[in-house]
Formats: sequence, structure tokens, C-alpha cells
Amino acid sequence: MSPVILCPSCDLVHRGTKAPERGRTQCARCRGPLQRAEGAALDTAIALAACALVLLFLSNAYPLVEMHVNGSTRETTLIGAALGLYAQDYDSLAALVLLTTVIAPLLQITALLYLLLPLRRRRHAPGQQTVFRLLARVRRWSFTEVFLLGALAALVRLSTYTYLVIGISLWSCVLLMLCLSALASITSPEQIWRWIERTRA
Amino acid sequence: MSGPATGRSLGLLVCLECRATVRAAAASHSRCPRCRAALHARKPYSLLITTLLIIAAAILYVPANLLPVMDSRTLIDDEYDTILSGVLVLLRSGSWPIALLVFFASIVVPLLKILALAVLVYSAWAHSPARRAQRSQLFRMVEFIGRWSMLDIYAISLLATLVQVQSFALVIVGWGAWAFGAVVVLTLLAARTFDERLLWDDPE
Repeated sequence: MSPVILCPSCDLVHRGTKAPERGRTQCARCRGPLQRAEGAALDTAIALAACALVLLFLSNAYPLVEMHVNGSTRETTLIGAALGLYAQDYDSLAALVLLTTVIAPLLQITALLYLLLPLRRRRHAPGQQTVFRLLARVRRWSFTEVFLLGALAALVRLSTYTYLVIGISLWSCVLLMLCLSALASITSPEQIWRWIERTRA
Repeated sequence: MSGPATGRSLGLLVCLECRATVRAAAASHSRCPRCRAALHARKPYSLLITTLLIIAAAILYVPANLLPVMDSRTLIDDEYDTILSGVLVLLRSGSWPIALLVFFASIVVPLLKILALAVLVYSAWAHSPARRAQRSQLFRMVEFIGRWSMLDIYAISLLATLVQVQSFALVIVGWGAWAFGAVVVLTLLAARTFDERLLWDDPE
């Protein structure tokens, strides 16, 4: 690898830089993030990704919230929230909600597992480059933390009218959010390639 | 060139996906040797595409705020809510932190994003040398807060899914929500197509 790195935010050349011991380094000129410390072990990332996968499954299998009104009960899951828009013929909005709350996190987690799991056995996944680029693209559209606050806003509005029961899926969503943000910080693109290149050696 | 050494002045490229440093000559096929992502010295047509996206977003910002995002029907009344009146409903129900959050995420953030990107595009186009570090910072902030505008879309989708109680209460999504979703996506794309390195480029 070239000992020279470029700041992706301002194109300044940085010479002889090594990844920091901890935290992150900044570009000397634009103060943009430059390099991240080696955050965690490969196994930690795999464990977190597996955990996130289970939590994502839970969030879709059980109701986020139940609403009791007039003796009848309404409930919805994570996917259900997107399908509700679909039922009202707002297909593109439904697709946007589905993409950012279910599909993007799912692809993000599975792509990461697909890339990292073979590395434990010192192998490389077929189509590694394609999957990496898919991962880089899709993780920008994974908005679980925003969804949670949006859900909170909706629940506050509803709670003045009806009786609400918070489902376990809302809690698994909270944990999923924590898992995904931890995962995002320890599996930066540079880090993924550090793991891959170490296996190549 | 008299300024500090940049990738452009040394003939080097950085892969924006995997951060590999690549010699521009070696990348004649314009693919990153490490991850095969497309390589560009600068994102192609960055200023033009960003400008078009923010114009579209600015136009849609008007119906997004004026049209009702939802229509809540109950036995007693029929209430059309715009984004702003939704904030007022939250405020009246006594949860001002949430009201403040929705107000910022849905009204302030999209507007600030459009204005900030317009300023950034203009200053990059004019090769303005002033306050480059601050403008870089501004761009990073725009990038960071952009996703939070989706908050209201999620709230509406949950309400529309839950409140479907026959002959008692009904929430019908309005076209304002569609316009609002479009504004959010357009501003997210606009931030993505803007090449922040243009803020630092000196005129040739």
C-alpha cells in the first residue's frame, strides 16, 4: 500500500501516516475525519452483526405497539408500518420506509457477515468487492435511530387518545439501533479492508 | 501550483468507498484496484447535479409544508394536519421536547439543508477562498443531520397503520407527506452528489 493517504474531504496529501492508537485523526487542513483507530477484533464485529440480525428478526416478528380502542386491538410490526402506507396507495413512500427501516439494515448486516465470516477461516468470500460496494452504498440508507424517534413522536400523539401497550419489538428496535451504531463505528470501510488484507498476507 | 500538495497536484486519487490511494495513471480504467468502485478525481458534474436536486427540493418544500400530511377522522371531527399543525398538536399534548424535535427535524433541517447546500455550491463554483474550513464543517453538518428529517415520515406511517379503527378513527395520509418525503430524499441525494473537495480547489 502507498504510504501516502489523501483526505477524502479536501484532497490534501498526508505522508507517512499510520492509523492512530485510539480515536481518530483529523485532516490538518479541513479538520475532516481522516483515519480511525483499529477499534475492535474481527470476532467482536461478527458477534455484533449476528446479534443485530436476531434483533432485526425480532423487531419484525413481534408488534412494536398495540393500541386498544373501543374493545378492539390494533398492532403493528416494523414491516407493518411500511405496509400501512402501501395500503393507502402511497407506494413510493412505503418503499422509502421499507428501504430505510428493513431492507437497508438487513442488507447491511448480511453483507457484513458474508464478508467477515470467511475471514475467520482465512478465506475470502466470492464476489468480495461487489459485496463491499453494496455494503458501502446501503449503509447510508439505514435509518433505524431516526425511525425510533419518529415512533416515539407517533406514540406521544396517540397516547392522548387511546390506551397503548408497548410491544417487545420496540425494545428490540432500541437494542438494534445500539448494535447498528456500534457496528458502524467498528466496521469502517478502512477497517474492513484492513481485515481482508491481513488475511491475504 | 504553489499551494499545499493535493491528490490532484500529485496525480493521486482516493477511492471514496474504501479509501485506497491510487495513482491516477494506474487508474486509467477508472476503477479502484482494491474494491472496483468507480474512481473520479472529482465527482462528475457535481455542481450541476447538486444544483438541480436542490432546486427540485426547494420547489417541493412549499407543498410539503402547505399541503396536509394527514387527515385524522374521528367520530367527532375531521382534522387536516400539516407538518406545522402536527407540531402544535404535540405541543398541546404537553410533550414539548418531542414537539421541538419534530419541529427541528421536519421544518428547520430541510430548509437549512437547502440553504446551506445552495451557499456551498455557489462558493465552490466561485472558487471562494474565504472560510474554507468553516464551509467544510458546514457540509459535514448537513451530511450528518440530513437523515433526521425522515422522522415525520416514520411517525405518519405508524399513525396511518395503527389508526384504522372502523367507524371510530381513521388516519389518511395526505399528499403533503409525499412531497415531504421527496424533499428529504432529494436533499439527501444533493448532499451525496456534492463533492466537498471542490470547496478547496483553486482555479486552474
